[in-house]
Amino acid sequence: MTRQTSLLYLDGVSVSFDGFQALNELSLVIAPGEMRAIIGPNGAGKTTMMDVITGKTRPDTGDVYFDGVIDLTGEDEASIAELGIGRKFQKPTVFESHTVRDNLDLALKAPRGPFQTLFHTITGAETKQIAYLLDLIRLTDKQSELAANLSHGQKQWLEIGMLLAQDPKLLLVDEPAAGMTDAETEETAALLKDIAEDHSVVVVEHDMTFIRSLEVKVTVLHEGSVLAEGSLDHVSADPRVVEVYLGR
Amino acid sequence: MPYLKSLLVVLCLLILPAGSAHAQEDTESLRPLINELAGGGFSETEQQLGVLAATGNPGVVPALEALADGDLYARKSDGVVFIGERDGRVYKLTDPLTLEPAGEERRRDMKKIKVNNGLRRVIRTALGTLTLMAPDPATRLAAADAMFKAQDPGSIEALDLALTQETEPRVRRKMEAARAAAVLKSDKPEAVKLGAIATLEALGNRDALSVLSGFLPEAQGAEVPATETAMARIDKTLAAWGAAENVWYGISLGSVLLLAAIGLAITFGVMGVINMAHGEMVMIGAYVTFVVQEIIRTSAPGLFNYSLFMALPLAFLTAGLVGIAIERGIIRFLYGRPLETLLATWGVSLILQQAVRSIFGPTNQEVGNPDWMSGAFELGQMTITYNRMWIVVFSLLVFAGLMLVLKKTPFGLYTRAVTQNRRMAASMGIRTPWIDALTFGLGSGIAGIAGVALSQIDNVSPNLGQGYIIDSFMVVVFGGVGNLWGTLVGAMTLGVVNKFLEPYAGAVLAKILVLIFIILFIQKRPRGLFALKGRAVDA
Amino acid sequence: MMTSFLFRALDKNAALFLGLLTAIIVAVPALNLLLPPDHPLHVPTYAVTLMGKYLTYALLALSVDLVWGYCGILSLGHAAFFALGGYAMGMYLMRQIGTRGVYGDPLLPDFMVFLNWDTLPWYWYGFDMFWFAALMVLLVPGLLAFIFGWFAFRSRVSGVYLSIITQALTYALLLAFFRNDMGFGGNNGLTDFKDILGFDVQADTTRAALFAASGIALGLCFIICRAITRSKLGKVLVAVRDAESRTRFLGYRVEHYKLFVWTISAMMAGIAGALYVPQVGIINPGEFAPANSIEAVIWVAVGGRGTLVGAVIGAVLVNFAKTWFTAAFPEFWLFALGGLFVFVTLFLPKGIVGTVTDNWAKVSRRKHAVDERPGDTPSTRPAPNPAE
Repeated sequence: MTRQTSLLYLDGVSVSFDGFQALNELSLVIAPGEMRAIIGPNGAGKTTMMDVITGKTRPDTGDVYFDGVIDLTGEDEASIAELGIGRKFQKPTVFESHTVRDNLDLALKAPRGPFQTLFHTITGAETKQIAYLLDLIRLTDKQSELAANLSHGQKQWLEIGMLLAQDPKLLLVDEPAAGMTDAETEETAALLKDIAEDHSVVVVEHDMTFIRSLEVKVTVLHEGSVLAEGSLDHVSADPRVVEVYLGR
Repeated sequence: MPYLKSLLVVLCLLILPAGSAHAQEDTESLRPLINELAGGGFSETEQQLGVLAATGNPGVVPALEALADGDLYARKSDGVVFIGERDGRVYKLTDPLTLEPAGEERRRDMKKIKVNNGLRRVIRTALGTLTLMAPDPATRLAAADAMFKAQDPGSIEALDLALTQETEPRVRRKMEAARAAAVLKSDKPEAVKLGAIATLEALGNRDALSVLSGFLPEAQGAEVPATETAMARIDKTLAAWGAAENVWYGISLGSVLLLAAIGLAITFGVMGVINMAHGEMVMIGAYVTFVVQEIIRTSAPGLFNYSLFMALPLAFLTAGLVGIAIERGIIRFLYGRPLETLLATWGVSLILQQAVRSIFGPTNQEVGNPDWMSGAFELGQMTITYNRMWIVVFSLLVFAGLMLVLKKTPFGLYTRAVTQNRRMAASMGIRTPWIDALTFGLGSGIAGIAGVALSQIDNVSPNLGQGYIIDSFMVVVFGGVGNLWGTLVGAMTLGVVNKFLEPYAGAVLAKILVLIFIILFIQKRPRGLFALKGRAVDA
Repeated sequence: MMTSFLFRALDKNAALFLGLLTAIIVAVPALNLLLPPDHPLHVPTYAVTLMGKYLTYALLALSVDLVWGYCGILSLGHAAFFALGGYAMGMYLMRQIGTRGVYGDPLLPDFMVFLNWDTLPWYWYGFDMFWFAALMVLLVPGLLAFIFGWFAFRSRVSGVYLSIITQALTYALLLAFFRNDMGFGGNNGLTDFKDILGFDVQADTTRAALFAASGIALGLCFIICRAITRSKLGKVLVAVRDAESRTRFLGYRVEHYKLFVWTISAMMAGIAGALYVPQVGIINPGEFAPANSIEAVIWVAVGGRGTLVGAVIGAVLVNFAKTWFTAAFPEFWLFALGGLFVFVTLFLPKGIVGTVTDNWAKVSRRKHAVDERPGDTPSTRPAPNPAE
């Protein structure tokens, strides 16, 4: 696939921290509408990759393009988010002293400037959208609860809801199933598959059953670069992947 | 010539007590020669001065000195010469050789030995000659220095004579300079003066510069450009020394900053705890020094010179224990909430200040310098005071010691482990709460010993700490949090920058500029000079 | 748009506070001016001035709370904005003295004559006009805050680093204003004021008017703060306080939000300073002392950060205690203040108002089991963690 037709295009991206090579000539291409799972042992560079895409970390070398033409290395977090890349963190990060409803309200696609928010009054369309999202993430009856009072799994879901409220083109989802019960994990997988119908999604996960249930192309990262790529069965048959996961 | 006078008094004091039996005998043989001074007119006196100078005996110095001041009198009855001091209607007499009191005489019984300016010059030369040949090099040096300042062409011969015998290089240089200065005042030919200019240029200090600039209006022919180039070169040398001096002052200030900041570098840099009471730990150290000195003064004054060595461990312990108490009592409940820690420790600082104010009073306390901290020495063209020098040395020793503790001891290893990964360290069996308390105690203790050092150069008052807290934070933040080398470089840089700005901007403005500089710098590099990079830091 | 914006500010709690404030604004001057001095309910003029001073402190606390309580920016330099506002007002009052100064110079304030200056420095021009001085009261602190914040927030200086450099900022200003050649009266500052807008500053009526003005300013700023914190922008601010980087990833430009609220807050502090100076009759560099800024922070902490009413209550309570203590036990005031810092951070992290409403919310919830939608009234908000 060429850069122009891709949604996300990483080529030769390297990042190092004080001599530690977090990303090493990483190349990765996501097509529009694609859902991709990324796995890899600890320190493989998964989170750093997300940091690079979302503008938190600047790559030392390499290209990062969104939508084929937009160079992400020159943008900051806020403008990357505005461009349509949403991110869910590994540790669920919601605004704990806001209600569930306000969390979604803050995430809703709307003008982001201080003066616009200062004089903002909530519209009917926004109320509707919030109601829809609350229903989707099954928090309708908790909407006036402070986010701090939610369970771990509910926070994960709220964060996914916030991600959807942003209505991004690309969702970066870091370990959505961490700390969830089996039932919750299953539901989360179903939810993500739903979302993938009309969004591009990149999922980073450790849980192999979760990955398997997504039924998508898998990329294995190791020491900051791509080790293998293909279906889950394909990559788990790769002896190098086996070695990375088991061989040490 | 008050300078010369006081100098000579000092010289006399130097020489006379050293008088041996031999000297005593010599002294008595001088008496008739001195009495001869009362002989008659100016020319006879001048002749007699030559005789006295020729003895080369420093014992005649007081008499000559008194003569130059017009304080030498002869008793009319027996012609014996005394130094006299007018006291109402009588003179108080002093023996010109032994310098012992010799009773009083009515004024009309004494005759003043008259001097004129011509004689005074001769006396100066004679004095110079006498002291230039003195056995003690320090005396000779001082004499040469006096001659350099006097710039009297009459001293050239004496200097020439002395130079033939002088072996001490230091004294030789001074004598040559004095000779050159005198030559410029004389009517010697141009070639000789050019040589003198070259000599002064080689000397290259402020005195040489002033001699040359004094000479410039009188210079003729080839002397003019020679003087001008020499002055330009000296200017350059002086500028270099001036810069060196600024660097030294900067390092000195930097070492003070380092001392104040290094404990903070541990509590803030390593532990991430904002201790606004850090300055009060310094203050406690200074007060410990005060108390130790008070006890020594009343019970064992002989130990005064060792007071600082006794104060050091006590200050470390006192401040360290206070620090541990603060950590155990307050800070440990606030880990992970740095802004609250900041407020709580500010409260502690208020309490400590007020406590010290209540106990010792609000005024400055007198903390003395031991002998080895007093005085100064010359290095090239700059003066270095011992207290500043020792503080620089001390701060570097403290820095090195701290590095050793952190890098080479088990305690240091534990501290670093806890800093890097608290949970991991805890699961390895390290008692992290104790390490926290001890690390905080170490940082506070070091602030305490900084206080011992700072008591030597700053006012010991309850507000002592307040003066250092902002500067210390600036140093740590500028150098880079979590990095002791950064603190060292940061302290020295800020010290030197401050001292280089001072001549142009004044002390207060320089400080303001440095603060603004740091404020801008932090904007540029929010993590300081030597920042740690990586994911962990951003968390 | 503006009306709906301001209207949002006025819910029941706010109305209660504003009603109380109005009552005080009316009652205190009335009891001072209308009752004879020997009447038991007469409020002496010194008490009016003292309370007026508390109100300006309350306004300063409000401004600190806006940035700290709602946005997590712990400023240790707000006294700088307060003092700058005060100096702007002081300059106006100095120019009003005219020929009544000791040296009787029509143009130059006494201290300039004393320093042998023969012309008025350019930055003193215009301060003979009240409207200009009033404008400067807002602009000078606002501009300094804007420039400082522009640099600081853009390069993401936050947490304790920001606190420390705000402290350095006010310290640098302290040193600068101590200098005679700055042209602000050096060590002695500006004092010996005669009148304001043509009224004698010492007169009872002027004092009462200044008190009322302080109260009105406090009320207006309270409404503005309330409107800000209850708007969507207010929610973004709290989001920034609790999870700054998350807010960024949602597409909000955090630095713009911080800069906005920081500048507004600095201007409010400036107004507080401007009202403070004519009441105490002097402004000197001591007002820049870092300790003053930290004290303002503790007022907010005592009252309850993140609650606007709390900031006001904290400022009044602590300063009342200070007045009483420094008269009764002068040596113990610093012990008490220091202890207060420790006590509040350790045992009362939400402050008085936060703790009270917390308990009240718990009780009422048990009674009615209703989920009232909390806006800025703190209910079961966890202790904010501005370290984020």
